[in-house]
Amino acid sequence: MEVLITVLSVTAIATLLATLIVIADKFLNNYGKCTIDINEGNKKLEVEGGQSLLSSLAANKIFIPSACGGKATCGLCKVKVIEGAGPLLPTEEPYLSDQERNDGVRLSCQVKIKKNINIQIPEEYFNIKQFSASVVSITDMTHDIKEFRFKMDDPDTIDFKAGQYMQIETKPYAKIKEKAIRAYSISSLPSDNGFIDLIVRKVPGGICTTYMHDYLKVGDQVSMTGPQGEFYRRDDSDSYVFMAGGSGLAPIKSIIMDIIEKGLDREMFFFFGAVTKSDLYYVDIFKELEKKYPKFKYIPALSKPLPEDHWEGETGLVTDVMLKYVKSGEGKHAYLCGSPGMIGACIKALTGVNFQVEKIYYDKF
Amino acid sequence: MKQNPKLQTIQENMAPGAYTAHGFLGDDTRNLLDILKQDQFDINKLGTTHEEVARRMRYFTEIGITSPDVPIVVDDIYEVTVDDHRGYIPCPFADNVKEIKRNTKLTNLTLGKTIYWSDLTIHMIEKHGFYEGKGSFFRNDPDTLYMLLGL
Repeated sequence: MEVLITVLSVTAIATLLATLIVIADKFLNNYGKCTIDINEGNKKLEVEGGQSLLSSLAANKIFIPSACGGKATCGLCKVKVIEGAGPLLPTEEPYLSDQERNDGVRLSCQVKIKKNINIQIPEEYFNIKQFSASVVSITDMTHDIKEFRFKMDDPDTIDFKAGQYMQIETKPYAKIKEKAIRAYSISSLPSDNGFIDLIVRKVPGGICTTYMHDYLKVGDQVSMTGPQGEFYRRDDSDSYVFMAGGSGLAPIKSIIMDIIEKGLDREMFFFFGAVTKSDLYYVDIFKELEKKYPKFKYIPALSKPLPEDHWEGETGLVTDVMLKYVKSGEGKHAYLCGSPGMIGACIKALTGVNFQVEKIYYDKF
Repeated sequence: MKQNPKLQTIQENMAPGAYTAHGFLGDDTRNLLDILKQDQFDINKLGTTHEEVARRMRYFTEIGITSPDVPIVVDDIYEVTVDDHRGYIPCPFADNVKEIKRNTKLTNLTLGKTIYWSDLTIHMIEKHGFYEGKGSFFRNDPDTLYMLLGL
């Protein structure tokens, strides 16, 4: 009997404490309505407090670029907070320079709205939209790269600059319980505005690339936001050097084909780095362009061609091959897309032949 | 052995879908504390340290970085290939460390054996003594690392 009374007493006290915590949480963490003032009164949003700045803006159709969907792992969702944010969190620190900290830059996914907040964002962020799209084809490009073609359903057209990217939202699958968001560059032409093509390389253990490669099927609907990114062609040069590897070919293809479609008179070198011949794709497309446009040169470089490849093209690191053709960066622009390691090596090679650092463009994610 | 709530939270971070599609525990059914204790025991038995193992792994990765995606022969008996992908991956130990998604493939040409690790693997071994659960893609037993890395 005594044991029963003790058990009941402990249970009653635990229940009471749990109830008090729930009630306290409701009152103490109830921030009520808060205002987000964007760009000095240019736009004002009334939101329910308690959510992250990133998700509150997204709920109001203002999409801040983010490649990780709010997990503080990409560092892309930076906004300038004039006032109203809490103290800087340890999760933000690795992504912010001293200058950015002094300027009040924060990761919007880590800023929780607890009171009225004033922020500044680039005007182009207002052009980013949410789309519903359906998969119309999936094509194997190499052993670990696929091309996905999407039809834009709602809205049914998209305006983007060649080189920009979209953010894809995955659905839960297998043991993955939560949705994930990742960024992929568009490889198709802006003029083909009812569709977009994305090229996705499977990352071992990657949540989103595994979904895209192994679970996404023709006919499936996908939610995406975009277009985003500052990796697009600047027009103050008539000579371009493009360098890519793997799925980094995507935005480069879009930019090159856009230049040609617009009939612009530009000198273009496109260096594509791969290990063996089986890592090359879209070769026929670029060979055909080369025939039609004498100012366009496509130079694939294999670092370790196999005997059965019967490769007669350029061999070695793509950076070394580039240096055989490009002796000076004077007046030229360079556009890079690939793995961080490849981009680092390309920047080093390009600056070695006098390319201006500010004329070398690449996506920082 | 029962583990404290902090380790329990870390173990949850290691589940499939939290930080990576497959997680860090493979098909290991032990709790995190038992995994850490067993690997610590094995490292002590080998007469080395987590830091020493991590230092050796980093040595190969740093050489591989000089030749992105392209295999490179190191010290005549190792072939190393490093590839990386966009983005970062946070450490599941919630220590505010994030690592580039960079993977190293090392083949010991003398032994004819290949192992893989990521930059995060090196960090987790060095700072947390964590070699991942059995069956995890980047799991390498201390014995295997000791033998293949020539420690």
